[in-house]
Amino acid sequence: MEIDVDKLKREWAGSTFDTAEFEISADDLRDFALACGETAPHYTDPSHPDFRAVPNFTARYVGRRILPDNFPRLSDGFGFDAGKCVTVLGPIRPGDKVTAKSRIHDIYTKTGRSGTMLFIVHRMEFSNQRGESVSIVDWRMVQRARS
Amino acid sequence: MILDLHNHSIVSDDGRAKVENYCQWIRKREIPLDGFVLSEHRQFDAVSDYRKLEDEYGLAILKASEVETDYGHVLVFGVNEAMQDAFDFRRIDLPLALVLREVDRCGGVAVPCHPGRPRVGMCAHFEARGPVDGVTVIETRNGGSRASEDERALHLAEERGYRGVGGSDAHIVSHIGRCVTRFPAPIRGMGDLVEALRAGEFEAVSWKSTSTS
Repeated sequence: MEIDVDKLKREWAGSTFDTAEFEISADDLRDFALACGETAPHYTDPSHPDFRAVPNFTARYVGRRILPDNFPRLSDGFGFDAGKCVTVLGPIRPGDKVTAKSRIHDIYTKTGRSGTMLFIVHRMEFSNQRGESVSIVDWRMVQRARS
Repeated sequence: MILDLHNHSIVSDDGRAKVENYCQWIRKREIPLDGFVLSEHRQFDAVSDYRKLEDEYGLAILKASEVETDYGHVLVFGVNEAMQDAFDFRRIDLPLALVLREVDRCGGVAVPCHPGRPRVGMCAHFEARGPVDGVTVIETRNGGSRASEDERALHLAEERGYRGVGGSDAHIVSHIGRCVTRFPAPIRGMGDLVEALRAGEFEAVSWKSTSTS
């Protein structure tokens, strides 16, 4: 079955299909930074005057749904995580309440040694309690395209 | 003049290298490159302007594309608007014959890359479905291909009389300069590069065994 990527994009990309809220604690920020091997005190010491989240902090979050309801099954397998790209737009600090809105940002195919792959880019946009955008996470999921 | 003809920056979906970091790596590691080409996947980056980096690091930074055809991946040099109108760079099933014809008609050069690799290289498709006319240059030295895959490419070039170029196919900074192409004449821009490729005045060089990564 050949995948019509342009049709898929027209039908599924762009619309928000999930919204989730997360409260940010100092412990979460510190623990995540330490787990990443971070040593800079403004990431690891909650008493630091500029204490904030490490740049990749929002990559830890997932929404309640990975794909929209009724999104077509395009592969015989489950696929795998092809990585996350985090864009930092503003600081995240203890006590913040961030809202994450999820949508499909892009769908595309490419060919490699193992055959044709389908990539779905799941975008989460994070804003804080003041409505300020603080982070964008693009999560690429790759599936083997049905042949 | 030595150029690395096949590299990807963060403009490509799987590229992890910023162009400035390539420049810094080349200078810090004293890699004897005069410049490199960015061949982003399934697109031509008409927006990025690297002239400031060229001046700062004394390197030629040229832009091309890597498209996907029914006979594997193909580097396209000399991309212009007419060429972008002629076929959709985003597609993964472009007919190789069409790409070769249209790139030539629009004044560029199409170079099948990593031909020895399975599925995305031209050799296997030639064996299965027969050769396609119009190929003159292939990438015989690719930084991401296995030794046996480069050997296969070299064999095809010898067999069919193709000229060979070298490119690293770098996606991270430390992979640039693994495979290069040596030109006897200076290459001042994409026009010179296309002219040299059309004239067949170059040789592929592999630095894989000497690269420091």
